[in-house]
Amino acid sequence: MTGPRSAPVPVAVPPPSEAQTVILAQQGEADALDKLARSCRQQAYVFALQLIGHPDDALDVAQDAMVRFFRSLERFDPSRPVRPWLLRIVRNLVRDRARRLRVRRTESLEPANDDALRFEPRDDAPDPEAQATRREQQALVWKCLQELNPRYREVLVLRDYQDLSYADIATTLKIPRGTVMSRLHRARRLLQEEVRKHRSGTGEARDG
Amino acid sequence: MANHCPARFDETMISGHFDGELTQATEQKVRVHLEDCEYCRTVLGELRTLRETTMSTEFHTPADSQWDERPQTGLSLVARGTGWIIAIVWAVFFAGYALWQLWQGSADLLERILVFGGLSALALLFTSVLLDRLRAARTDPYREVEK
Repeated sequence: MTGPRSAPVPVAVPPPSEAQTVILAQQGEADALDKLARSCRQQAYVFALQLIGHPDDALDVAQDAMVRFFRSLERFDPSRPVRPWLLRIVRNLVRDRARRLRVRRTESLEPANDDALRFEPRDDAPDPEAQATRREQQALVWKCLQELNPRYREVLVLRDYQDLSYADIATTLKIPRGTVMSRLHRARRLLQEEVRKHRSGTGEARDG
Repeated sequence: MANHCPARFDETMISGHFDGELTQATEQKVRVHLEDCEYCRTVLGELRTLRETTMSTEFHTPADSQWDERPQTGLSLVARGTGWIIAIVWAVFFAGYALWQLWQGSADLLERILVFGGLSALALLFTSVLLDRLRAARTDPYREVEK
């Protein structure tokens, strides 16, 4: 006589990989399209925001980017990573927008502020002073970033905010890997210089 | 402190080293140099501070409702593009027909004023846009950025 059969052990079903999601989306699978839209649109928005500095404009660019993304999804090779392709679409739209803005001067050209940044405690027992210093530093770097030339801003954002590898940055910007390294280093030095200038300016104003 | 490496070491390698993007041989070369060069160690420390700041920065993202209010397809863009093409074709035919009528001499003074006035206005608007675009092309901050 055999004992009672135990219930089958549930097998964890791994979530579909990005490539599988893209293939399903290309076939018109509603869930895959929804999943792809939800993950990509936030990435597109944050990257646009980092390049432009204005939340409303970034939302417009991200929305246009998503339209282009899904319009060309059928032609996309699923074996390649989605992110560099998506960020490239956003970057091209930001560049086109910058050109349009120089023609249509009626649109706002006011400098970016730190409303776009989210300042929330990252641990349970934050040191208020350290938190304040970090916020101040983040806001200052954010402000100085917006003052960089676009060619330096975009490479710096891709590496130091988006955490892309040099190979992915090279794919996104269509420049050689060596150029990524030299341009990135120059961008970092220019940003540090800008931060220093702002600090000394603020210090002088406070002292005066 | 000097504003460049006293040994004239290629500073871009410091970024490559910091990002873990160098070949093994170059990586070794940078490590050896860093042991002896205070300037490059300072540069490396500054890169680390900058990266810690940027990577810890978080951004507000729009709520789902803000996305849902917006068009999800390119249909409106297609309709807009088609509309512009039809409008341009119509304007060209209209202007051509009006000029033809003037050439034939069958138009009275009021019709001549309307046609010349309309075409002159369009020409001035076109020239204005063209001049702005030419000026923008000369001062475009992205012109040196590769496609």
